[in-house]
Amino acid sequence: MKNTIDLKELWKKQETAIPDTKELFAKIRAFKKNNLYQLIITNIALLLTSVFIGFVWYYFRPEMLTTKIGVVLAIIAMALYLFVYNRMLPLFVDVGYEMNSHQYLQQLLKLKEKQLFLQSTIQNIYFILLSTGLFLYMLEYALRMKLPWAILTYAITFLWIAIVWFYFIPRTIKKQQIKINKLINKVEALGRQLTTEE
Amino acid sequence: MTFEEIYRTYWQKVHRLCMGYVNDSDWAKDIAQETFITVWQQLPKFRNESSMGTWVFRIASNHCLRQVEKQKRMPQSKLPADIAEVLQPDIDSKIEFLYKCISELPETDRIIISLELEDVKQTEIANIVGISEANVRVRIHRMKETLSHKFKNYEKHN
Repeated sequence: MKNTIDLKELWKKQETAIPDTKELFAKIRAFKKNNLYQLIITNIALLLTSVFIGFVWYYFRPEMLTTKIGVVLAIIAMALYLFVYNRMLPLFVDVGYEMNSHQYLQQLLKLKEKQLFLQSTIQNIYFILLSTGLFLYMLEYALRMKLPWAILTYAITFLWIAIVWFYFIPRTIKKQQIKINKLINKVEALGRQLTTEE
Repeated sequence: MTFEEIYRTYWQKVHRLCMGYVNDSDWAKDIAQETFITVWQQLPKFRNESSMGTWVFRIASNHCLRQVEKQKRMPQSKLPADIAEVLQPDIDSKIEFLYKCISELPETDRIIISLELEDVKQTEIANIVGISEANVRVRIHRMKETLSHKFKNYEKHN
């Protein structure tokens, strides 16, 4: 077994300077700071949008219930979107490091599948909420316009929504799917390395 | 064990494991640091259900496997400060060859052989990776044969 001993000896000769723990803690701090900034930015974005919408509500004094429902739907849509993207997706990523590799890979696979589902579902819900909100919100003002203008306004808005719905969203979702599916395949291949008995 | 003690005890071992996995010292250092960040975060929850070593190696192995998401990693631009760290005079070519051979094995085998060379018991390796001890034994045996064979060839040509 001379070779074995040699390998072990060689293996252990590889040594690096142990980086100071200060460097590690600096990384942890940077990581926390980054998360904090993200939280602050999320909140500011949410707050500003809500203030703006509140201002519109206050200034134009909508009379119809549809307008108010529209505003609420739009706010819910934005809150949901920001919440999922900034707070929930990261939660999905960093779990299970203490499991054994076999369990970890299975977990990673499950998480990636969930992430794929969540991303496309949330994107759809967000968009449906926002479009419905916009539709209801515009109703009151469109009713005050002359008919041709009202039709034109709705036509332009819905053309835009249709382009986003039928072109941009499917494209983004497909891109994300391709990316995650590739990753899923790789993770599955890693898992297979462990399930095939030698 | 305090975090500092764990860090001092396991840094080299974890770094070697990562080196065996990626064979790139900067990249390995990053993975090792990520590992210790997780250790630091999870330490308050550590309940001695497994030994400290098993626990740390599990975290390190999973961070290595996680690199599947970063395989298009660009080589980092090296700042002068980094170069001084990378150029270690005592890394002889045999060590380099060993790490190169290991990094060419299938991913999970890299972890298993690295742990074996680190003198981790085979029962524990089975526990870290999540396969049977018999399977670990067979794999290690086979990999050692391959490595010895490669080394014989290497020595013939050098």
